[in-house]
Amino acid sequence: MAFEKVKLPFSLFTLILFGLILLSLQLMSSATQESSELSALYSWLLLINGLGSVVLLSLVGVNIYTLIQHTKKREAGSRLTRRMVSLFVVLALAPAVIVFYFSMQFLHQGIDSWFNVEIDRALEDALELSQSSLDQRMRWHLKQTQQLTEKLQDSSENRVALDMENLRELSGASEMTLFSRQGRIIASSSINLGDILPSLPDKNIWLQLRQNGEYVAVAPAHEEKLMVRAIAKVNTQEPQYLQALYPVPVRVYDLADSVEFAFVRYKEMKFLRHSLKITFTLALSLVLLMSLLAAIWVAFISIRNIIAPVKQLVKGTQAVASGHYDEPLPVIAQDDLGFLVESFNEMMNRIAMARDETRIAGFEVENQRAYLETILANLTAGVISFDASYNIRTANQAAYRIFHIHVNHFIGRQLLDLINDRSELAEPLKSIQRLLEQAEDIWQQRIAFLGPNGRQELLCRGTPLYSQEGLRVGGVVVFDDVTDLIQAQKNAAWGEVARRLAHEIKNPLTPIQLSAERLQHKLADKLEPADAEILQRSTRTIVHQVEAMKEMVDDFSEYAKPSKKETVDIDLSRLVKEILALYTLKSGVKFKTDYEAGILTVNGDPISLRQVLHNLIKNALEAIDSEGLIEISLHHVQKNNTDFIELALYDNGTGIKEDQIETIFEPYVTTKTKGTGLGLAIVKKIIEDHGGAIWVDISRKVGAGFIIQLPACHSEQQ
Amino acid sequence: MLSSRYLAIFFCCTLFWLLPFTVYADDLATEVIDAEITLQKDHYVLAADIAYQLSKKATIALQSGVPLYWSLQIKLLQHRPYLWNKTLLKTDIHYRLQYQALLNVYRVQNLSNGETYNFSTLYAALDLMSEIQDFPLIEKSKISPEEDYLCALKVKFDRGLLPVPLRSIAYIDKQWYLSSDWTLWPLKK
Repeated sequence: MAFEKVKLPFSLFTLILFGLILLSLQLMSSATQESSELSALYSWLLLINGLGSVVLLSLVGVNIYTLIQHTKKREAGSRLTRRMVSLFVVLALAPAVIVFYFSMQFLHQGIDSWFNVEIDRALEDALELSQSSLDQRMRWHLKQTQQLTEKLQDSSENRVALDMENLRELSGASEMTLFSRQGRIIASSSINLGDILPSLPDKNIWLQLRQNGEYVAVAPAHEEKLMVRAIAKVNTQEPQYLQALYPVPVRVYDLADSVEFAFVRYKEMKFLRHSLKITFTLALSLVLLMSLLAAIWVAFISIRNIIAPVKQLVKGTQAVASGHYDEPLPVIAQDDLGFLVESFNEMMNRIAMARDETRIAGFEVENQRAYLETILANLTAGVISFDASYNIRTANQAAYRIFHIHVNHFIGRQLLDLINDRSELAEPLKSIQRLLEQAEDIWQQRIAFLGPNGRQELLCRGTPLYSQEGLRVGGVVVFDDVTDLIQAQKNAAWGEVARRLAHEIKNPLTPIQLSAERLQHKLADKLEPADAEILQRSTRTIVHQVEAMKEMVDDFSEYAKPSKKETVDIDLSRLVKEILALYTLKSGVKFKTDYEAGILTVNGDPISLRQVLHNLIKNALEAIDSEGLIEISLHHVQKNNTDFIELALYDNGTGIKEDQIETIFEPYVTTKTKGTGLGLAIVKKIIEDHGGAIWVDISRKVGAGFIIQLPACHSEQQ
Repeated sequence: MLSSRYLAIFFCCTLFWLLPFTVYADDLATEVIDAEITLQKDHYVLAADIAYQLSKKATIALQSGVPLYWSLQIKLLQHRPYLWNKTLLKTDIHYRLQYQALLNVYRVQNLSNGETYNFSTLYAALDLMSEIQDFPLIEKSKISPEEDYLCALKVKFDRGLLPVPLRSIAYIDKQWYLSSDWTLWPLKK
């Protein structure tokens, strides 16, 4: 099993500092003891610890300030740090304060318990006893000294020294001195022969002496001894004072000293009781404060170290949230958090890969969509898709070309909304809508309506769309404009009919005519005039009818044969002018022309195009009376990026009935009493053979109007 | 904004805390009333009169058996116009004052020479410490007639020698600020 290196959350410096704090506190604690050698350093230790507290407080303050700033800025990990620090402070503070409170209680009660009234009184009594004992001794020595003065009264000056020596030995005094009133030493005697100068009374003693005539007091002597100084007045002519110094017995002195020491010590302690409490409280508070501050500081450092990977993770998460997957987080430690960071990096890597794949797939889908859209847009068939509510979702360009409505503008709306502008679409669109909603499978229907360019026939194919779950999510309808196809089929059929008619009918017509004429020629002379008249009339009828049939067959033949034989560039305006010139001379009809400036050239067969104009003008002339008006205009128009020459021909005649508009260009459709009904059919065939289109202008409310569009021929192409 | 407000509050609190000490500042201080330097034979000697004052707390402490310590600090300085003053002499006289409960006397001890005096009253005890007579400063030969000299005197109450429990309080309580300021006298040649 491999041993992992345990890493402490704080540095060696922190440990050393913590050790120094503890040492300092220990020294200060020792210094509070009076007997300790450190007591002299107490003030310095107190100062050092106080400064240490200030430094720690500053460190904690700086950390708190930084934390507040980070929290305000909502930096990563700041809130977790705040929570952990708060928790730590509460956890550390609560027991510490409890211990501190009870320590203070014990301390104060302990100090108070040292002192009580009995001991106080006992010590005072003991001191008083000692003082009484000394007082008694003093009074006795004073009395003794006074008695000695009486003995000295009679002594002459010469003998006084000798007498005093004897008296001193008798009285047990250690020193005896006789002073004059002025303080002059008259005689002196001491137990120590070496003492030359006796102990002299000071100013205060002299003052008392002069006031009372006697003095007694206990005074400290050399070598820590006490002595009683007793001075009494010697009643001589010249007043003198005898001072006797009596030593206090050593045993008495020791006892008195012991009592005094105890008393003073007790009194001092009693006086210092309050100070002692303050000092201990101060020391304890300092210990608590420093410990707590140090602990909080270390907590800050430790929590910061612990939070560091979390902080990085938060930053990393924020980076991921804002779409940056490229910077992996550094793995600081090989612990659980390190593992978490590694996992996070792995996750980030995978997200980045997934994002790239999604992006590529998105591009592909977009390309595919654009491709399909282009195809759809360029389809000749109109495609409209619908959502689940049958609102239009997409529509291609061909839909516009077919319906002449910008279906794109109706996206999100119902199909029936297209009717608003085009009432003629109402029925077809309603049926499509119905099929769209009801059909369960692919459906197909042909619809027809009158478009702006005439009748339009559409082949609609629709299919409902289903989701993978089988729910209906919309549908698609494809429209094919089959007008031209159907027209071509019709034209082909009519051409075939015309060709057969021409072939089958024209052949027997000439023998019929010839036979009829032969009958007339052979029999006319042989018959009675009445019969001859009948024969002639019948023969004429046959010949006329055969002629009519020949014309009809010619027309059919004309219809059947190709109209675009030899093509040349034709200036339409000139062609129109030439043809109109023919009609202007013949009739009193007014012609109004409007030619656009510029070249109006088309490529086509001039004979066929002349026929077109002749047919149309003839029709117009037949429709109007002799005072009628025919308007002809020529314009350039552009349609589906192709230039067309538009020829519009209007008259103010009887017009075309609405029910005939759709079929006016079909063969055998005519409004006239005579004629084959092939005129407009031929016109339409010629125009379509030239790549153009012709339709009735239904917007024209007076008379009839035809619009022809032929591909323009540009001079560059020539 | 917030931190500056806290700073202001802290500053005001500190001022408020220091206010009581400023009130007592001059009332309790010991004062050097008079000092004189005279030439006796070939020595300059110092004579000074000092007024010791004891605060109420100091008096109670003394009567409770707590010994009080003073140092009389004496300096002789040579004035130098463009430099700091040169110290020619620096000497201290240490006094210890203690109450003797058994004999009901105040004992003054000169720790510098070991002499002990007992007084029945506090006033008498302080009186002994307050008078300085014929304290030899310097030999005349060491004094240059061209130079200026100053004598500096200060009485320092030694709080560091108080009992430990009292010491920390003595540093923050003005009742224990019993030292005098430095007093300077010119040396008249």
